[in-house]
Amino acid sequence: MDRYSFSLTTFAPNGKLLQIEHALAAVGNGSTSVGIKAANGVVVATEKKTGSSLIDVSSLEHMAMVCNSIGMVYSGMGPDFRVLVSSARKMAQRYIQTYKEDPPVRILVKELASIMQEFTQSGGVRPFGVSLLLAGVDDRGPNLYQVDPSGSYFPWKATAIGKNMINSKTFLEKRFNSDMELEDAVHTAILTLKEGIEGQMTEESIDIGVISTLPAAQSDGKAQPTFKRLSPAEIRDYLSNIA
Amino acid sequence: MSIMQYNGSAVVAMVGKNCVAIAADKRLGQRALTVDMDFQKVFPVTDRTYVGLPGLATDVKTLSDRFRMRVNLYRHREERVIEPETFANMVSQIMYERRFGPYFVEPVVAGLDKKNKPFICGMDLLGCLNYANDFVVSGTASDNLFGMCESLWEPDLEPEELFETISQCLLNAVDRDAVSGWGAVVHIITPDGVITRDLKCRMD
Amino acid sequence: MRTATAVAAPIEAHGHNHWSPYVDNGGTTLAIAGEDYVLVASDTRQSDGYAINSRYEPKAFVLSNNAVLGTSGCVADAKRLCEVLEQRAQLYQHKHDRQISTPALARLLSNTMYNRRMLPYYVFPVLAGLDSEGRGAAYAYDAIGSMERVTNSCFGSAETLIQPFLDNQVARNNQRGADPERLLTRQEALKIAIDAFTSATERDIYTGDYLEIFIIDAAGVHKETRELKHD
Repeated sequence: MDRYSFSLTTFAPNGKLLQIEHALAAVGNGSTSVGIKAANGVVVATEKKTGSSLIDVSSLEHMAMVCNSIGMVYSGMGPDFRVLVSSARKMAQRYIQTYKEDPPVRILVKELASIMQEFTQSGGVRPFGVSLLLAGVDDRGPNLYQVDPSGSYFPWKATAIGKNMINSKTFLEKRFNSDMELEDAVHTAILTLKEGIEGQMTEESIDIGVISTLPAAQSDGKAQPTFKRLSPAEIRDYLSNIA
Repeated sequence: MSIMQYNGSAVVAMVGKNCVAIAADKRLGQRALTVDMDFQKVFPVTDRTYVGLPGLATDVKTLSDRFRMRVNLYRHREERVIEPETFANMVSQIMYERRFGPYFVEPVVAGLDKKNKPFICGMDLLGCLNYANDFVVSGTASDNLFGMCESLWEPDLEPEELFETISQCLLNAVDRDAVSGWGAVVHIITPDGVITRDLKCRMD
Repeated sequence: MRTATAVAAPIEAHGHNHWSPYVDNGGTTLAIAGEDYVLVASDTRQSDGYAINSRYEPKAFVLSNNAVLGTSGCVADAKRLCEVLEQRAQLYQHKHDRQISTPALARLLSNTMYNRRMLPYYVFPVLAGLDSEGRGAAYAYDAIGSMERVTNSCFGSAETLIQPFLDNQVARNNQRGADPERLLTRQEALKIAIDAFTSATERDIYTGDYLEIFIIDAAGVHKETRELKHD
């Protein structure tokens, strides 16, 4: 066994922190997630991979709302994701308690990333085995961010993480354009997942979350953009349009 | 005498047409003894948001410093200037943090938001917000200010009219309050900038 | 704001249960004096704590065709004080065979109140009438009879709200270039009195319901009634 892989606080002579590399490998094993920022909103989608046909997939949650205006999805280890969702929700509520408004996406991403960073430097812990995609709407419009186990974060127009990340990103590079409307982006997200999916794609095997900016007329009132997970029926409609 | 009356103060904020005004007296006293006639009770938060802090002077100092720190942190973290309503919520939260050992201050926030919409609000010493679309008053002369504002204020005042109205309200109110007055300052916040004027008044 | 306990000497009944001979029944009275008239305005709400006893219980009393007594404070005391004053004015009439002048009546009221120095009438009156030259005269008192002739005055639960307004609009305090000596015309005074009460009614829970305005001039006493908010 490698001498430098047991402790997080130890750099390998080549300047790498191997645990982080391993965490990234865990992400790479996880099911694919994609995110696309449209002109009027953001969509995130993920594949719900199950080891057995006996699992009740309707109860699997690969996607979570953090606060009204922000949602997130992951690739990697499910249990680690739940811990981060819980932290993110607490951060959001703390922000709301202070300012009576939802946190800007970037602020939440920074805070979440700083927690993930802390787990690469603290003693007695391991990094999170997940990469996250955060979709949200704030003052600056639609936002899509990726956060990695190292605590790095990136703003994207469209991206993918997980097992089929490379192919999916190549696909997105070809299909993406920034004038794309949200409906169109949902289709593109489904098509991207479909490229790499093993077996049949059904409303049960993927999860889709959307959030759209409010029409200008509404933006003055108390109405807020809301992150929404699509129901199986809604996903079925999209799928039938594609096929 | 309550601790709220120990130093004496009067603060008022008013809404005008695309502008807001906030004014305060300048006295600092220890009960009946006047100590300072140029004590600052209104503080700029941003270019277009001001906060008035009537109440116990030591808490006025502490709070104005804390607010400045929190607003600076907000600006650095979020890379944007805080909106008056967001600031008011922050003030409210800071006040409520001390629910069982409060700051003896009843803040007043006035400003224009990013759409140039006027915002004013007051709160009690625990941070309970009181939104208004006409005027808010606070301090030892608050009853007097209520009477003046309720009689003189009208909707859609232009900046200069608003200046005259808020000045008359404050001056006549503090003249009937023994522990406030001794000079006054008025800030008129407009989309083009802030006009600040010092008022001469009775010094007795 | 002033409360009954300010002058009350509480008598202890059951250790914790304080009883006071005085109550503050709320309400507000103001007076504005002009060149040839004087005006007294008061609301008609009578309350005890958070309870409204009456929505129409006038607290300004017409003493003669040349004098009105506006009151505030404890209604029982105010009514008694008014009766005593009327009786003593009547005795003056019998003794001197002429109606008592306003300045004399003002003095009489002061003495009547000071007689009760050790257990005062809990009343803050304003007396209004025309003086011997026919000019409007208003007299303001504290509860033990200190008096002052004034051009404007306000007493009662909304005193702190209205008095600064009168200082500004009647005495023209803080108005640069305005003549503080100029007395208001009758219409101006009427307008200011109504404004003062509609404003005070917005914020003072003890003031409201109806506004009674008495205007005294050479022709006698003329009454006007306005509605105020009932909430």
